[in-house]
Amino acid sequence: MNYGLEFELLYPKEDAGGAAEVRRLLRASNLDVEPDIQFFVVARKERRIVACAGLAGDVVKCVAIAAECRGTSLSLKLMNEVQQVASIERGHNHLFLYTKPENAVLFEGCGFHQVVSVLGSACLMENTPVGIRDYCDMLAAFRQPGERIGGIVVNANPFTLGHRHLVQQALGACDWLHVFVVSEDASAISYADRLDLVRAGLAGLDRVTVHAGSRYLVSKATFPSYFLKDAKVVEACSTALDLLIFRRYISPALGITHRFVGNEPFCAVTRKYNRDMHEWLEHASEEGPALRVVEIPRLEVGGIPVSASRVRQLLGEGDFEMMAHLVPATTLALMRAKYAGRARARTFRRETRIIEVK
Amino acid sequence: MEITKEAICGTLESNDLLVKVAPRNELEVVISSEVMRQFGVRIREVVEETLLQMGVTRGQVVIEDKGALDCAIRARVQAAVLRGCECDELNWGVL
Repeated sequence: MNYGLEFELLYPKEDAGGAAEVRRLLRASNLDVEPDIQFFVVARKERRIVACAGLAGDVVKCVAIAAECRGTSLSLKLMNEVQQVASIERGHNHLFLYTKPENAVLFEGCGFHQVVSVLGSACLMENTPVGIRDYCDMLAAFRQPGERIGGIVVNANPFTLGHRHLVQQALGACDWLHVFVVSEDASAISYADRLDLVRAGLAGLDRVTVHAGSRYLVSKATFPSYFLKDAKVVEACSTALDLLIFRRYISPALGITHRFVGNEPFCAVTRKYNRDMHEWLEHASEEGPALRVVEIPRLEVGGIPVSASRVRQLLGEGDFEMMAHLVPATTLALMRAKYAGRARARTFRRETRIIEVK
Repeated sequence: MEITKEAICGTLESNDLLVKVAPRNELEVVISSEVMRQFGVRIREVVEETLLQMGVTRGQVVIEDKGALDCAIRARVQAAVLRGCECDELNWGVL
């Protein structure tokens, strides 16, 4: 049925001709090439690419099959190949993928299972029937008694007095608080350091559990923009998937009844995320019990709301005196010891480049 | 035998199965199959027998079955476990 079918890896950055062929194949399925794809698994028939699937870390993206090859179980062979390659070459045994809900059944035949689905827009799948369940079992061990259990998700890039203020305010309104630190290592401050600083910054506060983040919680790599052209739709449904995972799985595992969030005076994207929180967590639906979303006004120092982005700006400028008003001593010490040098090194490199250009 | 790392074996081709093993404190076998209603019980028997023979008492074994025969199931489970145990010396007599 699949005579002369060959699978190979294609690195789009090294193989311009192959990349163009993949782009044409994707375009025929109304998809775009995502820039973060490291390589494609492609199937060739008589040297022509008839199917492709991209891999960006542990996320499968940009899966397309030429129209004339559909209905030949090629998708099964392709997705099998992707899982073998990801496991053996990259050590990724646990894969995620986004697709349109109407295509979910196709991937279910290839060993993928649905995590959450937003009707009419997007569906998140993983290649194990027990991935999210194992995660919930792990979380459930941290359950605490109480009627009002709070949850906060922070990136803490880096941890500021604003974060501490948010946690203290939230603690005033609940019996126990679970704080999750976004684990995606895509921020200026490394995940390990962000987690350490949150733990250090919240030391001494009772009734708080600090959790390491996970792939199921605001993970930036798992962003379903690949099959949707309209950036606004992308944004809307990506927050929906993230929030529905929180509502359907994470909240019930820990008994979380309230999600606390700092109000957002600066960043439009975060402001939208806060708005979406009310929509997806509070309103009645079949996605598990509703939560209350509580927005807490930001801490202000000298009439200006404290934000991590302001702290990073001060880090770039090397203004540690000003920074000392915005962050706890533990954050200040680490910024000074570890990140100040880096900020300087970056500035230095930029200067040398300018000289070369001249 | 002790499963010490994640490993996979097999394919999703028709008449085959994909086996994934991972370290866990308890033994758990999760089976999805195209022929669950007809042969689900038998598939579980074969898997559990194979694990017992190999002395696997802990670990997670996740199976995506595409209608494999018993002998294929046994072989794939054995290979996945051996990979997951990073086992170099093998007692073929037991298998």
